[in-house]
Amino acid sequence: MTRPRTLPTAEGPYPPTEEMLNAPVSEAEQKRGGEELRAAWKTPEGWRYVTAVNNSEVGKWYCLTALAFMLIAGVLALLMRVQLAYPDMTFLDADRFNQFFTMHGSAMMFLFAVPMFEAISILILPAFLGARDMPFPRLSAYGYWCFLIGGCFVLGSLLFDAGPKAGWFMYPPLATKEEGVGPDIWLLGLSFIEVASIAAAVELIVGALKCRPPGMRVNIMPLYAWYVLVVGGMILFAFPPLIAGDFLFELERSFDWPFFDPTRGGDPILWQHLFWIFGHPEVYIVFLPSIAIAAMIVPTVAQRPIVGYSWIVLSAVGTGFLSFGLWVHHMFTTGLPQISLGFFSAASEAVVIPTGIQIFAFVATLMVGRVKLTLPMLWIAGALAIFVAGGLTGVMLAIVPFNWQVHDTYFIVAHLHYTLFGGMVFPVIAGVYYFYPFFAKKLLSERLGLWAFWLIFSGFNITFLPMHLTGLMGMPRRVFTYPESSGWGWLNLISTLGAFIVAAGFAVFLFDLLRPKKAQGQIPRNPWGAGTLEFSHDVPEEAWGARSVPYVTSRYPLWDQPKLLARMDAGRYYLPDAPEHQRETIVTSVIDAKPVHVQRVTGPAWITILAAIFTGGAFIFPTFHIYTPAIICAAFAIVCIMYWLWTSTARPPKDDMRDAGLGLRLPTYASGPQSVGWWGMWITMLGDATAFASVVFGFFFYWTARPDFPPEGAAHPAGLWVAVAALAAVAAWALTVAARESNARGQVTLARIALLLAPLAAGAAGVAAWAAVRDLDPTSHVYPAILWALMVWLVVHLGAGVLMQGYCLAGSVFGKMTPRHDAELRNVTLYWHFMAVKALVTTAVLGLAPGWLT
Amino acid sequence: MSDIRDEQDAHEFRAEALSLWRITFGPLIWALHFVCSYGATALVCAKAGAEAVPVLRMGIGIGTLLALALIFWFGLQAWRQWDLRRDREWENDAGTGEDRHQFLGHAGFLLAAISFIGVVYVALPALFIGTCA
Repeated sequence: MTRPRTLPTAEGPYPPTEEMLNAPVSEAEQKRGGEELRAAWKTPEGWRYVTAVNNSEVGKWYCLTALAFMLIAGVLALLMRVQLAYPDMTFLDADRFNQFFTMHGSAMMFLFAVPMFEAISILILPAFLGARDMPFPRLSAYGYWCFLIGGCFVLGSLLFDAGPKAGWFMYPPLATKEEGVGPDIWLLGLSFIEVASIAAAVELIVGALKCRPPGMRVNIMPLYAWYVLVVGGMILFAFPPLIAGDFLFELERSFDWPFFDPTRGGDPILWQHLFWIFGHPEVYIVFLPSIAIAAMIVPTVAQRPIVGYSWIVLSAVGTGFLSFGLWVHHMFTTGLPQISLGFFSAASEAVVIPTGIQIFAFVATLMVGRVKLTLPMLWIAGALAIFVAGGLTGVMLAIVPFNWQVHDTYFIVAHLHYTLFGGMVFPVIAGVYYFYPFFAKKLLSERLGLWAFWLIFSGFNITFLPMHLTGLMGMPRRVFTYPESSGWGWLNLISTLGAFIVAAGFAVFLFDLLRPKKAQGQIPRNPWGAGTLEFSHDVPEEAWGARSVPYVTSRYPLWDQPKLLARMDAGRYYLPDAPEHQRETIVTSVIDAKPVHVQRVTGPAWITILAAIFTGGAFIFPTFHIYTPAIICAAFAIVCIMYWLWTSTARPPKDDMRDAGLGLRLPTYASGPQSVGWWGMWITMLGDATAFASVVFGFFFYWTARPDFPPEGAAHPAGLWVAVAALAAVAAWALTVAARESNARGQVTLARIALLLAPLAAGAAGVAAWAAVRDLDPTSHVYPAILWALMVWLVVHLGAGVLMQGYCLAGSVFGKMTPRHDAELRNVTLYWHFMAVKALVTTAVLGLAPGWLT
Repeated sequence: MSDIRDEQDAHEFRAEALSLWRITFGPLIWALHFVCSYGATALVCAKAGAEAVPVLRMGIGIGTLLALALIFWFGLQAWRQWDLRRDREWENDAGTGEDRHQFLGHAGFLLAAISFIGVVYVALPALFIGTCA
């Protein structure tokens, strides 16, 4: 057998010359391209509208849903402020107050702040990049429906008086011992949403790396894309520890495995570590993308390029890293060694440097530009003022002795609201005003905007500025009432008044946002005079994203490339048509954005909604300890996802190449590192490996924190079975690699045999891992419990690996996968590289670590 | 007119043609230094006695010097790549291979600088605090 031809690569002239770009496009050609694109990108109508997956539709739903959840959480805050207005109020009882503050924090963080970043990015990132859509539109849609179902479930618990009430960070033992289903709702409902967040992060990273327009090298991409990259990376390393923590926590609540129970060797501090390794970066995960909006608005307002582009990149990347060294500053009172506290105190001070640099860069841009005070700029100015105040109290709180003094008081409440309002709420509202013409094709009212700003800005300060003092006077956070003798009454009354002023401001903002604007007529295309690609949008709206994908040579193409807009509209640039009425976007190289291939993107579908509903069932039923329907739902979810992948991704194309415009011919299929799917897998696996590392960290944490780990005379895993598990897992990996290699050489039969044997080996590894720990009792002590947890983790991942191998085998048999079109097999092999490492680490911990540690 | 298969840029600036990772080397060393310092402290304070603390501090000191040297070296490389002394260009905002090359040098240099400061900050507690208590 001979090695089959490899996939073709791009051919033709690139970069396009001025002469090529000046050649006119004929009327007929323009008309044909426009009609084809309109047909390909048609938004479904009527009740089928919900099947849309286009980033502009999903992004809008996502934003509106996150906004609705934010308003609900805001109403909870108002009710709490009423209860706290006077001493000894009886408006809310203690139990309901606890549910409200828990849900207020949880909803604002998990249902508003992080999803809002994803929602806005899904909505506008492709427009910044002149892309047609995100690389995986159905994944965004699936993430959105998961978010909607999970959010309604978690918030809905309040209506049944069943909400969680242990605070938004769910500290054990309070939360592990809590009666009712509240903590289960929190753990499972929010884990479900975290999965959706990671899906969005994968999508956004791949979008920023691979879907930039030709010519947009890394040094000229919009700063927003830099921030998206950094924040996406942070989500991959921050959310998985929380998911690992949720996993252990739910095992304790459902099956009584004592991870956080000190009487059986557990340690509640482990939860605090896992929660805050997530929790502190999370603050920056919501702050950075919001400040990224400022980085887009400031140059437009100043009508000049941003000052210190490289410095802002430094600031984004630097903050992203440093923010992972801060988590213990939430745990200064837990009795860790002084030197350890010192490290975190120092890192907390260091993070101020990059954070400050970007603010100075904004101020410098405004100083050298000719600033016109528009509404978006007003909100940005308010944001900077409030955020700087919150940052200053942050510097105070990073100092250990001061932190001890005000720990768990209203000073903290004031600080965190200053950072989040200044760092997130204000810039996001600025973004709404700024991008409203882009996504709604209308303008918001100047007069109402001023009213909203001054109400929210003054109301915010009236609410939260006094809280610094309330806290210093000793009022602890989370108390449902206080005695008159405390002397905090007048301060609380002021705060309550302020809260209602904020609410009035939001009412004005909301009215302006949602009122019909039919009378307004058609707005100008670029009302702010912006320089970035999103304002090349079509007014009135077209669903295709960009009429043709431009060749970009500047950071502000609308300012520096005067003919760009006309050429885009005429379809002079890339992908100006859609001959097969398929949705496509152009994929470029990571550093220099050279065109690599044309990616088919998926269109409207019910299957994503079905998949989300079943995934929801798999998470929601276990909340009530109902497991059989949960397992059935999980199975159906897997079937749905497989069906969706099978029918619409990586199908061998009819033609190998496609005329992409300007004489360039691009391949229509990519495999391995060229393809977006491979990048998606690689990035997902990075997050998954982080979660796995967090569970392994748990094992070693117990060893350092507890003298009785492993307990004396404890039974250990059966060494023989551990060894079998390791060997079988390595065999499964080797067979997968062999299948990829033989398939690529055209030895299809050999590849199929390998793909038949590989799942058997993987299955054997799973059974052996189970047999190794079978005789240990996970409820007796944390040592067997964590070994069981590692085994469960391994078996679940082996299961996923088996499904993937079976998928490839089926692909090979039914002609979806050929020696040349082997994207699936390459992605699955990548999964198995990670799988092999995980299996070896797990078996080392199971089989070798007990020997080393005792 | 050039063809897309010409690898001109890749030859000229092969250094970073493959990846963006290089600019994160400085922060990665900061992270490694941070994790090692924290992990070693946690271990020593939990498992060893007070007599091990001076050894720990010495170890953190050596680790800090190593980390600083590495960051300095990366910073120096990035500084050369930025090439400020030759062409005095700060913005590097053109869509050319040269500007991309120098921009990545600039960003890498700045990140090395911030990582250097970060490592010094994190080492200070070990310099000033002498016990686990």
